[in-house]
Amino acid sequence: MIRRLWKVAFAEWKLIYTDPAAVLLLVVAGLIYAFYYPVPYVYQTVSKVPVAVVDLDNTAMSRELVRMASAAQQIEVKAIYPEMKQAETAMARDEIYGFMVIPENMEKNIRGKHQTTVNIFTHGAYVMFHGAIGTAFSTCALTIGATNKVKQIAMSKQVPSTKAIAMRDPFPVSIQTLYNSTGGYANYVVPSVLVVILQQSLIIGICVLGGSRAHRRFRKKLRDSPVENESLPYRYFGRSLAYFVHYCSFILFYHCIVYNIFDFPRRGELLPMVVFSVVFLASVINFGMVVSQMFLRRESSMQLFLYMSIPVLFLANFSWPAYLMPSWMTAISYILPSTFAVPAWLSIEQMGADIYDVAPKLYQLAIQAVVYLVLGLVLTRARDKAKIDIGDM
Amino acid sequence: MVLNGLLKTIRKIYFGHNIVLWMILVVLPIGVSLFTVGMFSSQIVQHVPIGIVIQDNSQLADKLEAKLRSSPVLDIKMVCPDMGECEHAVVRGDIQGFIVLPNDLERRALRLEAPVIPVYSSGQNYLTNMFTTKEIRAVLSAAGSELFTAQMADPVKVQIHSVGNLKSNYQGFLVLGLVTAIFHLAAMIVGVFVLSFPLRDHRVKEMLGYAGGSRFTLWFASVFPMNIILWLETVGCYAYCHRLLAPLTLDEFVITAAAQLFMILACSGAGVVFVGLTGVMRMATGAAGVIGSPAFAFAGQTFPVMAMPFAVRCFAFVLPLTHVLMIQSTMLLGDVDMAPAWESMKILIGMALFWNILGAFLMSMRWKQFARRETEYEDKMRTDSEASA
Repeated sequence: MIRRLWKVAFAEWKLIYTDPAAVLLLVVAGLIYAFYYPVPYVYQTVSKVPVAVVDLDNTAMSRELVRMASAAQQIEVKAIYPEMKQAETAMARDEIYGFMVIPENMEKNIRGKHQTTVNIFTHGAYVMFHGAIGTAFSTCALTIGATNKVKQIAMSKQVPSTKAIAMRDPFPVSIQTLYNSTGGYANYVVPSVLVVILQQSLIIGICVLGGSRAHRRFRKKLRDSPVENESLPYRYFGRSLAYFVHYCSFILFYHCIVYNIFDFPRRGELLPMVVFSVVFLASVINFGMVVSQMFLRRESSMQLFLYMSIPVLFLANFSWPAYLMPSWMTAISYILPSTFAVPAWLSIEQMGADIYDVAPKLYQLAIQAVVYLVLGLVLTRARDKAKIDIGDM
Repeated sequence: MVLNGLLKTIRKIYFGHNIVLWMILVVLPIGVSLFTVGMFSSQIVQHVPIGIVIQDNSQLADKLEAKLRSSPVLDIKMVCPDMGECEHAVVRGDIQGFIVLPNDLERRALRLEAPVIPVYSSGQNYLTNMFTTKEIRAVLSAAGSELFTAQMADPVKVQIHSVGNLKSNYQGFLVLGLVTAIFHLAAMIVGVFVLSFPLRDHRVKEMLGYAGGSRFTLWFASVFPMNIILWLETVGCYAYCHRLLAPLTLDEFVITAAAQLFMILACSGAGVVFVGLTGVMRMATGAAGVIGSPAFAFAGQTFPVMAMPFAVRCFAFVLPLTHVLMIQSTMLLGDVDMAPAWESMKILIGMALFWNILGAFLMSMRWKQFARRETEYEDKMRTDSEASA
């Protein structure tokens, strides 16, 4: 029995390596994307974003604020303008991505114990610049405010400066990042994308090879070959075995090589990783087997799933929380293995979760695997009984 | 005569019961774009699930908890008896972070010892973590300033404005770029499909026959309708997404629409070149997918191009999407200065011309080759049937 399964699996591998489209999807895509996606984010964080300051006050305090802004790591003050129009023009020319406006009479107001407002403008199209520029400028402006407030407290309440600092901020907040301590963008985005790459390339690859086919043109040519005429369970499970072993090697490659090269956190324990690999690949392979039966032409699956790549990525919950999506979209997302696989993978690999922590998500993947297995077998059987001239594959 | 041939070829290509073509030309790009818009319909991040560990049994701790609960951004899902439980909940993905209100918080705060409140965020979700930590800091700072200096206003107040995206909604930030990226990919895939299905189905001679033997007519009949349809779809979907932001002026609309047209031309031209180079639909679609699918990651809207390595910046420059997004983002700023948009526009026009001229040349050669092959095959079949007869 095992021998018959392996025989089908070997035949499938041979087929993969003799079909250029399958090689592109099942071998090259997995390898190239593993390096292609992380490379843009190799520096992880945004620093030295070009910005400007519009100084309408032109006093010692405003110059101190400019000096503090120049020392901030996230931004680089490229110019100091006397009026806003110049800063707006520079932003439109992409010379700067934000600017701070120091208002007229800032020093006078602060010394006179009146509140003054510092406005920060960022480019509305770039979310990362918005965060970096806003944080850097507001930290500088609030520091100036805090220094003056401490002085006011010390003078009005007649307390030493240490006590005045404590009165201004009685319980300071210390923010600790548990699993992405550098705040790197690559650490956040790439591990999730790698799971989606595995899923998409495997599904399209299975569709291109026709799943456990009965409708491929070469079956006409190879109708006498024992593998193509193997009974349904052997054909189905033998081919699944080929994809399973092939993609296990990819998971190993990502874990041992890609994660090392790009220095991503690697806290995965052996048991949860093995269980994850089994249920995730079982779910994706059976899903691919089901979907492959629905296409009459092999390349149609590529066209469909290439379009789907962006929604699939966002439905995986790592970028935009599922509870903020409409409920019908959340329901659709349950069809895809990545919806459960991405959070499970992040918990295991990035956060070092044990098997009990990720069990609920692994159960959901296992349920998907079983449902798609049954569907896959039923559809394959239906295909087997259909006329061989369906489609032109 | 030429016009007749052109119309007949267009009819045969686009209305010859080609369901897949209409799926990838109309249904999928519009459907996926609207789906993506709908995904971000809540616009801003709210109700982020967090946990809280209350070690201090005091009025101040109760007050802080109440203030955190009243924040619309935060949702206290768990009150953990110890830090370990909250940490496991973070690992499971149930909460995004947790706050520890330490022992003797009130006592030490009243004695001006400045006890630190630790906030632990998962760090694994960039957007929700950013909003969560910012909100927690704001809530706790506001509560702190009320304790001793309630009557004393902060000397400096900061207001952050996102120009062109006043509400700072995530939909405004992302969806405009995502929708353009979807059509960037769509143009490549459709370009590949329209030019390669006659090769796949051995219908080159037939198509050339409809075009009156003119390869130029066949090329024009293939590329013209798809570019116009995709462009109209892009403009329509973009306008639909833009409704939440400040309305575009006529000038801005014209420039954005022109940039989108040249992007569609450049991308469909690139798709045609992939077909010309490979001659096989599967391979050309694969190439289009490898380049087109991740284009959004390289185009600079989520992670800025200036922070990427030099080689990646070069690749980003070659992508039409990068230049369209630059124009679109410039238009968000209003009529400050439209001159910078022209630099990107010139690059897009250059790309559109280059890819289309190269694509037309390569396809002309492919059609010649495939027509010859089809003739040889027909001759062979005829000879075989005569021999068997």
